[in-house]
Amino acid sequence: MIEVSELRKSFKSFEAVKGSSFTVEEGEIFGFLGPNGAGKSTTINILSTMLKPTSGEVKINGYDVTKQKNKVRESIGIIFQENTLDEKLTAKENLMLHCKLYRVPKKSRKARIDEVLAIVDLTDNLNQTVEKFSGGMKRRLEIARGLLHYPKVLFLDEPSVGLDPQTRAHIWEYILKLKEKENMTMFLTTHYLDEAEISDRIAIMDHGEMIALDTPKRLKAQLGGDVIELQTTDNQAALEEINEKFSVIEATLHEEGITLKVKNSDEFVSTFMKQLETPVTGLDIRKPTLNDVFLSMTGREIRD
Amino acid sequence: MEGMIAIWQRDVMKFFKDRARLFGSMTMPILLLIVFGVGMGGSMESLMQNVAGGDLDFNYVAFIFPGIVSMTLLMTSVFSSLSIIQDRDFGYMREILVSPVSRVSIALGKMLGSATVAVMQGLLLFLLMPVLGVTIDLVSFFVLLPVMFLLACAFASLGLLIASVISSTQAFQLVVNAIVMPMIFLSGALFPLNNMPAWIDVLVTLNPVTYGVDLMKHIMIDVDQLSREVYVEMGLDLDFFGIPVTPLGEVLFIIGFTAVLIVLATLSFSRANR
Repeated sequence: MIEVSELRKSFKSFEAVKGSSFTVEEGEIFGFLGPNGAGKSTTINILSTMLKPTSGEVKINGYDVTKQKNKVRESIGIIFQENTLDEKLTAKENLMLHCKLYRVPKKSRKARIDEVLAIVDLTDNLNQTVEKFSGGMKRRLEIARGLLHYPKVLFLDEPSVGLDPQTRAHIWEYILKLKEKENMTMFLTTHYLDEAEISDRIAIMDHGEMIALDTPKRLKAQLGGDVIELQTTDNQAALEEINEKFSVIEATLHEEGITLKVKNSDEFVSTFMKQLETPVTGLDIRKPTLNDVFLSMTGREIRD
Repeated sequence: MEGMIAIWQRDVMKFFKDRARLFGSMTMPILLLIVFGVGMGGSMESLMQNVAGGDLDFNYVAFIFPGIVSMTLLMTSVFSSLSIIQDRDFGYMREILVSPVSRVSIALGKMLGSATVAVMQGLLLFLLMPVLGVTIDLVSFFVLLPVMFLLACAFASLGLLIASVISSTQAFQLVVNAIVMPMIFLSGALFPLNNMPAWIDVLVTLNPVTYGVDLMKHIMIDVDQLSREVYVEMGLDLDFFGIPVTPLGEVLFIIGFTAVLIVLATLSFSRANR
């Protein structure tokens, strides 16, 4: 659905994207992460025909983004990071304008507007001026608008930035509902790494280069296993026992207990609990998060 | 095509939602009508009596009314292009720019939107006609409408071009004032321009407002009943570097002006780096 090969973009002497290549399959949720200034926005702008690449080829839905701009524009929907609704108009007027701009067939306009508004729970606000909407409602309306023309690829640029956790959860519910229904391809950027977990694959970009591209699970597996924090009645004895009986990647004794690093904590814990003779007083399993992945790959937190 | 109409409709729709703008923009033309019409009217009328050598049915307000209307068209259509800068600031421009609507349709849609709003503002001034003692017959009125629309399109394309290269509201207002004010004063809209220094004459000749105002005056005022002296004195005998100006020539000049600016504005919208 999205094919990018050897994409480069330079602004004067600064090289924002240094030859990245990747493909996104139909129906896939593709998470696109990177610290600020990594080249994320530049890439999205090129993919959405807003920016011309210096070199390389980008195809969306089989159309070239530099030569077949209008075909590409018909295939994509974008939910922008910033609010791009016309606040002086009503929800209905905003949606109707979008239908006209994006060539939604005349006959199906009304039905589609009703449909997308139902998805985001705004049916009752059809004739209300957007100005009077809350932040979350605006965001939902914007998502509804992005879906009106049934895009093949939906770009979500920080879709939940600035929203409270509850609204965020809601919005994700809507987005996933939709994805299931329309088998849409989604290209997602976000600062919330827990949100990126829903991606089928994740790409991490840093300094204009793609430094990782894999499923969230495998990215986390690359970090080398899970972490178990263990407290026992006699930590010294427990440590000796562990080294004798079990194969762990690493076991370190510290003041509060023992920190174990194991390949697969699920398998490990079930046998471990049966076979360890020293009584356990506390056990805490921590799976690596995408944040750990991000940190180890870029050396920075995503919010840097 | 439909995209263009949608963009056009949006601006007209927003105009009707903004009542303050509707009435706010009426104050300036009314003020000028009072200052120039009533204030200068007396002395201009007696001056013309002298030129004509006696008995003359001459209403100065009727003379500047077309000028004030064109001025309103100019101000409203140019300032309406501020919506492009606002759309850019509030993000709506992105929604338009990533849509499959062609860039030329975007420019034309915006131009038509501003022009329509300007014509409606201009027509509002016609409500003042009974108070001013100005009259217009129905036929002239229907000839006038397309002329007003053409003029508004020309001015809107000027605003469009300015808005497409300037990014802040404040700068836009300054630049527009710097361009629009001289265009009004050097057009004969408010007072006749006679015996001007040569360099000003060149500016007047190249100013599209000059021809717009002249067209409107010829439609609205019964110029045939004016004596030759008054006709000349009121600046109604225009020439384009020595060639006498005809209504058709004026229309063509305005169309040419509009076409060039629309092409430039479209090019400016098409630049990918935005």
